[in-house]
Amino acid sequence: MTDAGVNFIPLLIVAATLASFIVSGVRARSREASDYGFGGRYIGRLGGGAAIASNWMSAASFLGMGGLLYLQGYYALAYVIGWTGGYVLLLVLMASQIRRFGKYTAPDFVGDRYASPGARLVSAAISITISVIYCTAQFKGIGMLFAWLFGTSYPNGVILGAVVAVSYVIISGILGVARNQQLQYAVLIVSFILPLMLLAHRLGYFWALPQFGYGVAIDDLAREFGIDFTAPFASGSLFEWLALCFTLMVGTAGLPHVLSRFYVVPNNRDARWSLVWGLFFIALIYWSAPAYAVFARLLEARGGMVPPPYAAEKMADIIVIKTAVMGGLPSWMIGILAAGATSAAFFTVAGLLLTGAASLSHDIYYRLINPRASETSKMAIAKGAVVALAAVVLIIALHPPGLIAEITAVAFALAGNTIFPAFLLGIWWGRANRHGVITGMLTGVLITFATPLFGKFVPVVAELFPLTSSAFIGAPIVIGIMIAVSLLTPPPPEEVRRFLAEQVHGHMEAE
Amino acid sequence: MQREPYDVNLFRPRRGYMTGEVRIILAVLLGWGAVTFGFQILLRLLARNPAGEGFFTDFTFLSFPWHFWFTAQFLPLWFIILCIMFNVYIDRHAEHHSRKRERSHD
Repeated sequence: MTDAGVNFIPLLIVAATLASFIVSGVRARSREASDYGFGGRYIGRLGGGAAIASNWMSAASFLGMGGLLYLQGYYALAYVIGWTGGYVLLLVLMASQIRRFGKYTAPDFVGDRYASPGARLVSAAISITISVIYCTAQFKGIGMLFAWLFGTSYPNGVILGAVVAVSYVIISGILGVARNQQLQYAVLIVSFILPLMLLAHRLGYFWALPQFGYGVAIDDLAREFGIDFTAPFASGSLFEWLALCFTLMVGTAGLPHVLSRFYVVPNNRDARWSLVWGLFFIALIYWSAPAYAVFARLLEARGGMVPPPYAAEKMADIIVIKTAVMGGLPSWMIGILAAGATSAAFFTVAGLLLTGAASLSHDIYYRLINPRASETSKMAIAKGAVVALAAVVLIIALHPPGLIAEITAVAFALAGNTIFPAFLLGIWWGRANRHGVITGMLTGVLITFATPLFGKFVPVVAELFPLTSSAFIGAPIVIGIMIAVSLLTPPPPEEVRRFLAEQVHGHMEAE
Repeated sequence: MQREPYDVNLFRPRRGYMTGEVRIILAVLLGWGAVTFGFQILLRLLARNPAGEGFFTDFTFLSFPWHFWFTAQFLPLWFIILCIMFNVYIDRHAEHHSRKRERSHD
């Protein structure tokens, strides 16, 4: 970033927003003794939807998507489609059945369904890896935001941001704050759309519903400056588009922290309907992100400063904020936008680090290393794990391997290649057994990282399994391997098969 | 083929509730896959040049190039519609079965 100096007003607004979440969390806590989170209290279908959406919104949705659309135009719509279409898969194939199964963290489900500590260990390790990759993307977003807020370099920004984020996670871990997800969603949506409305107004486009009114801007961009934002396959081939889109879809349906979201409402019917609301709330942001990208292109072109591709790529991840600056929005409005982005990244980091740490202390330490561990030592392990995971993430984030949305996509590819097949067959095929699932998940890991591992020696690997899009071919292969290995080995225990047939599929729940 | 007593298989659903449920699931998945992936394939097939300009990019709709509108705006809406349809049919299906079950208990 070229902006020197501290951006005081935005910084103040970001700090005030984070503080208000802590205060509201503490007050809510003293009002109610019961903890929030999974099924803490009934919040209705609409509230459940807001919880799903705020749990979902991360720096990738808030910053990364706008950045990629800015760079790649139509091609980046694969992200929009992948991240919304995945919810269809989740709803029709998994939501009700996971609820009936009653295990909603990935290691718990895999461990119980396949009656295997080994499968539990593999899925726990995969879940932790997913958390770390996903968190790296968040840290990059936080780092760029903090660098801009404090007018400093990216490495300083990411270190500073990491310290603040981990403190926030520890405070929320101790106080149990920031679980009021309806409030979180309200902050996210207002802080994303309000600046967009003002931008559209300033630029003279239809501002009341800016997410549907930027078509004229696309036209102006092409007519005035000859920039074609919408050429379908200018930035990638049809195969690349489909592979990316499909990978993000199966990844969505296999992402551990998304799978555990069906417990905020007490019954299955309400859980299904809140997912629809959740998808609508997510779509509100995703309909808007392309507008930021188009306005950014237009403002640059009009200002006569179209950056070279190298420079554009460098600042793409913060283009949403840049657009607001270029559009001459008042600094308090930019502050609101920055506060929304920071909140999205912080909530996601908190959720991921806490889940990752819980998985380390519960699924790995308690279940496998020391089954007689006391609650106190489990807690100590979990707290240490938060700091350790954050340190790993910080080291990777200092030299970010890609754009926010690209890094995030790798986490989706890993989830789509491993957890998604394990859940899909676990729910829909009683014959799937532990040998199948362990072989399948390990193959999935190998496929996900095939390009960095073997891409240089075997070029066809890089073509078939691009790092961000490997699940298009990978997930079917993994499913095939799971089926083949399961058929060659003895079936899973009868009690598991009976539970699946009678409780998950035979049982008529009073919906 | 002889069926085991606890056989669960998406493509050979158990009799009763699951049969209807699977029918609804497969119908929704068909609508999901065909519209999402089918459109992109069609877009490529009808393209004049490698960048993909062609039949669909020539129209405008709501001042958007038609293909851009379809992918960026309509598809997320289509997913919401699919989810609503799925829920309506599953609700109806579940009610039908719980009524049937109550009668059989009488």
